[in-house]
Formats: sequence, C-alpha cells, structure tokens
Amino acid sequence: MSRMKPASTFLARLPRTIEPYLYLTPAAAFIGLVFIYPIIWILQSSLWQNNPDGTKGFGFTNYRLIFEDPVFYQVVANNGKLLFAVPIMTLLALFLAIVLFERVRGWMIYRGIVFMPYILAVPVVGTTFVYLLGLNGILNTLLRGLGLNGLAHDWIGSADWVIPSIAAVIIYREMGFGVVLFLARLMSLDKEILEAAEIDGANWWQKHAYITLPQMSAVIEFFVIVELITMLSWVFAYVYTMTGGGPGFASTVMEFYIWKHAFAYRSPGIASALAVVLLGVTTVLIVLQLRLRSKSLEETL
Amino acid sequence: MISKRFRLFSIALIMVMLLSACGSNAAAPANEKVDLTFWYWAESDAPGADAWMTETVEAYKAVNPNVAVNVVPQSTDTLISAFQAAATAKSGPDIASQWATGPVLGFVWQDALVPVSDYVSQDEMKNWLNVDENKYNGKYWGAPMYLLGIGVMYNKDLFTQVGVTAPTNGRWTWDEFTTACEKFKAAGITPFAIGDKNGYGGAWWFANVGIQGLDSTEDLRQAIIGNKPFTDEKYTGWYRLLDDMVKKGYFNEDVMSLDLDQGVRLFWEGKAAMAFGTDGMIKQASTDLGEGKVGVMKTPKWGTGKLADAGNATQSISFLITKWSKHPQEAADFLAFMHTPERLTSWYKHTGVIAADSRFDRTLVTSDVLKQMVEFETTGPQVWLENFLPGQIDGDADLTAGQTIFAQSGSPTDAANLWQSVAETWRNQHPDELKNWQDWKQ
Repeated sequence: MSRMKPASTFLARLPRTIEPYLYLTPAAAFIGLVFIYPIIWILQSSLWQNNPDGTKGFGFTNYRLIFEDPVFYQVVANNGKLLFAVPIMTLLALFLAIVLFERVRGWMIYRGIVFMPYILAVPVVGTTFVYLLGLNGILNTLLRGLGLNGLAHDWIGSADWVIPSIAAVIIYREMGFGVVLFLARLMSLDKEILEAAEIDGANWWQKHAYITLPQMSAVIEFFVIVELITMLSWVFAYVYTMTGGGPGFASTVMEFYIWKHAFAYRSPGIASALAVVLLGVTTVLIVLQLRLRSKSLEETL
Repeated sequence: MISKRFRLFSIALIMVMLLSACGSNAAAPANEKVDLTFWYWAESDAPGADAWMTETVEAYKAVNPNVAVNVVPQSTDTLISAFQAAATAKSGPDIASQWATGPVLGFVWQDALVPVSDYVSQDEMKNWLNVDENKYNGKYWGAPMYLLGIGVMYNKDLFTQVGVTAPTNGRWTWDEFTTACEKFKAAGITPFAIGDKNGYGGAWWFANVGIQGLDSTEDLRQAIIGNKPFTDEKYTGWYRLLDDMVKKGYFNEDVMSLDLDQGVRLFWEGKAAMAFGTDGMIKQASTDLGEGKVGVMKTPKWGTGKLADAGNATQSISFLITKWSKHPQEAADFLAFMHTPERLTSWYKHTGVIAADSRFDRTLVTSDVLKQMVEFETTGPQVWLENFLPGQIDGDADLTAGQTIFAQSGSPTDAANLWQSVAETWRNQHPDELKNWQDWKQ
C-alpha cells in the first residue's frame, strides 16, 4: 500500500486542469503516431515533385498534374456512380430489417443469413462473384437455362455493366451491416406507440413511414454516411479482385488509382496528391456525419 | 621526429583503412558465414521453378556450406511494388527479381542496383543469352535464367476437320490467317482463344502484332519521349486488325471475363483452333490434347517494319544484385552457380522451359513442337516489345487500350488516342524518368 503513496501524492499535487490531459497523453500519442503523422507525411509528400535532374521541387505541381490527367475525371466519375448504390442499399436494408422486426417465422436465422456476407473477407466475396458474373458464369448459365438470354450480359467484362455489377456485390456484402444496425434500433423502439397506431387503424406503410422511420433517422443517417465513405475509400479490394480496374478504366476507382501510382508507377507524389483529394472529400462527409449526429442528439435531449 | 613518424603511421593506417573500404566488394573469407536473401519470381512463367530453386539452394549449400540462401518467393501483383519499397528504403534483398529492360532500368536509374557484369567474369557471362535486354552504359545489370517465347499454337485435329492447312514455312500472312479464322468461325469453332480481363491478352497482341510496324525499339522510344506521336499508323494502326477480328467474332466471346491464362485453357480443352502460347503452355497443350496433336507457328505477318520478322523471346525475369547488399560477390557467385550445366539440365527437367545459356543441352528437348519453339527463340533478333515501355504507359495504355478493343468500349482511334494521352501524362508526371529515357542510348 505504501508503495502506491508517492504516485497518489504526485497526482494529488497536479493542478486539476492538467490531470485529465495526463490521462489522455498515451491515447493522444497513439493517435498522433497512427493518424496525424501519416497525414502530415502524405500532405508533405504531395507537395514534392521530381525535377528532370533528379532533384525535388516543392509546390502544388502534383495537384495541377492530377487535374490535367483525363483519367482522374473518369476515376472520380466511377466513384460517383458507386454512390448511387448507397440509397439502394439503405432502402433494402431498412425493408429487410422491418420485415425481420415483425418476427417473420425463423427471423433469427434470416438475420444470420443476411449478416453472413458482412463477415466474409472482401477478396473472398470478390473472387466468388468473378465466377458468378462471368459471361459464361453461373448467373448467365441460370438466365439462359430459364430462356432469358437477353438478360445475360458480360457483367464484369463490359464497360456498361461493370460498375453496376461491382455496386451490386458491395450492396450484397454491406447490406447485412445495415440490417443488423437497423434491427437493433427497431428493437429499442417503444412498441406501445406502434400498437396504438394499429388500434387506430394505421396500415403497414403508415405505421412505419410515420412512426418507425422518424425515430430511426439518426441511425439511418449514420449508416448512409458510413456507406458513402465506404464507396469513396473502402472499395479497393472489390475492384482489385473483381476487375483490376477494367475494362479500360471503366471500374478504376480513386483508391485503385492511388495504389497504381504509389506502387506500380513510382509516383509517390502523385499518389499522395490523389490521397489528399480523397481525404478532403471524406473529411467533408465525416464532418457532415458529426454535425448530423450532434443535431439529432440535441433533438433527442 | 616522433611526431613525424606518428603522422606517417597515421597516414599509412588511413590508407590501409581506405583500401580496405574500397575492397569491401571482395568476397567474404571462405569461412565467414554469409546470409543471402533472394526475392525470387519465376514460378508463374515456368511452373516447377520454385522446386528447382529449393534444390539449387541445397546443392549450393553442399559446396558452399558457409553461404545460406534464403529464398522469398514473390507475388506477380506486388513484384514491382515490393522492390520499389525496398529501393526507397535502400534495404531489402541481396538478389532481386524484376522483369527485363524497362522495370530493371527503372531501378538502375534509382541507384538501387550494381551491374552483374562487375561481379561475374566475362568468360561466364559470354554463355548467358539475351543479356542485352539489360544492357545500360556498357554494363549488364541482370542475370537471365530462361528464355520465354510466344508462338501461335494450333490444334491439328481441328485444322484437319475444317480443312485448314498449317503454313509450310512456319508463318501465315495476315490474309491467310483471317481466311482460316473465317473457316473455323463458319464451322462453329472458336478460331482464336484468349483472355483479357487482366489486360495481358491485349499486351500480348501489342508485343506480337503491334511490333510489326516498327523498325526498331528506338522507334518506340521516340514515341515514348514525345518525338513521335503514338497516333501514327506504325504504332497503333494494328488496333484496326484486332478490332476487325473482335467484330467478326474470331475470339471466344467471354474474352473479357477471362484472364490471359484462363483464355489459353480453352485451347487446352480443345475448344479453340489457335491461341498464343509460351513453351510451358505449349507443353501443357501437348499433354492435354495429346502428343503430336499440337503445332506451332509464328504470329501471322501484317507489318512491313524491320521488326516484323523479329522473334519475341525474352528472359522475362532478370535477377539483380542490389546496391545495399553486403555480399554482392557471393550473390553473383550464386547466380553463376545457377548456370552450371548440371543446374541448367535440372532447370529444364523441372520446368520444360529452355535455359538462357548457350551451354544448355538442347538434346533434352525431345518434343517436335518445343524444338520448333527453341528454333524460333534462338534464331535472329529477339524483342519482347512490352519490356521497352515505362510501367505507367504499359499499365494505362498498353493493357488498357487492348481492353478497350476487346470489350468494344472504344474504337481503334480511341485506343491510339489513349496511348498518346497516357504518354503525355507520364511525361508530365515523371520529368526525371523522361530524362533517363531521353538519355538512354539503346
């Protein structure tokens, strides 16, 4: 016991204003090392440009060069197209969560099945879908077997279909997360209000549109923002395993383009500038999410 | 006096130390323990190469017990990026693997390598084939191990069935080729099998067909550095031929759903009349379709450039000694050991791919079709054109333009414009690399 005394005395002597910061120091140091230092390094790296004589110049040349690169705009457009998957995924997840919430027979099994893709590694999902979605893959074989030859497309080999196909695979995997999230919120709702609405004659649509969904707005906003960020900066593994960014640049997304410049093309400066642009966009979304959450918290209080 | 003696002694001591430092490239004493790390890649080109390397390391240890070679197999996808990280950190393997010419020279220009020819005797190196692929500033920067060529393999039974006769001189004209394709198509047989999901189908067309418009690799360099436009007919006019073939249905329809090697499997399964194939692929075809059922010819001729008649054999992968290695001499000794006649014979037995060494015993090649390939690979000039592209132009133009045509998402003009645009982007983004390419006298 006596051995603890000096430390206690030391803490007791500290001004009350400093003490909390002392407790936070290890965590702050860890965050600084893992997050802040890499960001500073990338920002700095994005400003270094190679000169013809092998020396380095400092400035915004890398940013000018990426905005002059026509491929950059196609890559941004591809990420933009993927964002359309978010509302589809959200609506599907909401619908499934509500159906499961209404205790359909065997709902716990269905919940497990819906959530299962989310625990699978993305490369596993991606590689599996390559076999499913090939021109002579399982999906098209089934479609042709059903006489629906017109619906059999080259899902990942066609520039027109590749982004919708990747989006569908992302929806398949990420939707489970939404269902579990929404289901958890649904279970915490006050059931008496729903029962009262039923007694008053509200139909299924009215019940959920006017009672359930408004109470779930915070969790829906959270899911939407998280998935928007996913579509911008967490889809590399899907693209890498399914298409390698092709055909052409039809499925090349920002992360993949950053990876190519950083590791295959020996352009760390360009890769860093691209990463900073991506970081800027995702930061806007994160700030948006934080503001929405604080707003909904204020409303709850 | 004492002071003078002391100064002389000090100077002598410093001289000795300097000379010792200069001599650090010398081999370690015979009894000193030496650990060599070898980042090794070859299995993808030559199945069996990893097993051969395991055997080679053991054999080397038997004669050099103080040298331990730690082999770290490398993945194709990260071969360049992993070594790039090592080169940036100036730390990593003693021996590295990179694809010949462009990728190797990229690391030479980053000062990550020492010339292999500084450590291997001329007597030894004169036996190594295709060393010119990594020649720069009068020195040789890579050690070859094997030669890989690509021919057009054909299914003899399907040829007979449709009434198509293989070329008697080993090569068709383009018209003869497309006429044959039409006959196969009419008979309901896929004329030519290929896969291009990973872009390498298009890259093989560039290296085998695109090359035929050029007079030399210097022609290509002139376009890379911006002195000639890639939109010129001689560089990208061949995309019209490819586009025509795609439109006429001369390829398997799932070309964009399959990687290059998956496309070749269609030929092995007897589902296509022709396909590009390396020695290993041809050997596999002979196993699957039956010995004597597979023939091989050169890529049909369309171009009038001087390279139209060149072969396409390349050492593919080159083994390099890193600048930071503490044992460059031991690394070079191991590379030379890999070329001893006993190891060369073992190499062929493991892989079926011929060794890039004039001492390789060609009587080991018994199959007629593989003998024909060896003939193609060792006769006349050999150029694998893809080796002569900067990585970014290869990845964003060569691989991508081919996909544009195979997927029919763009026209031959779009493909040509893509080359031009990507080359301009590369020149703007890499002024230092551009300078090296401008200064490079081939």
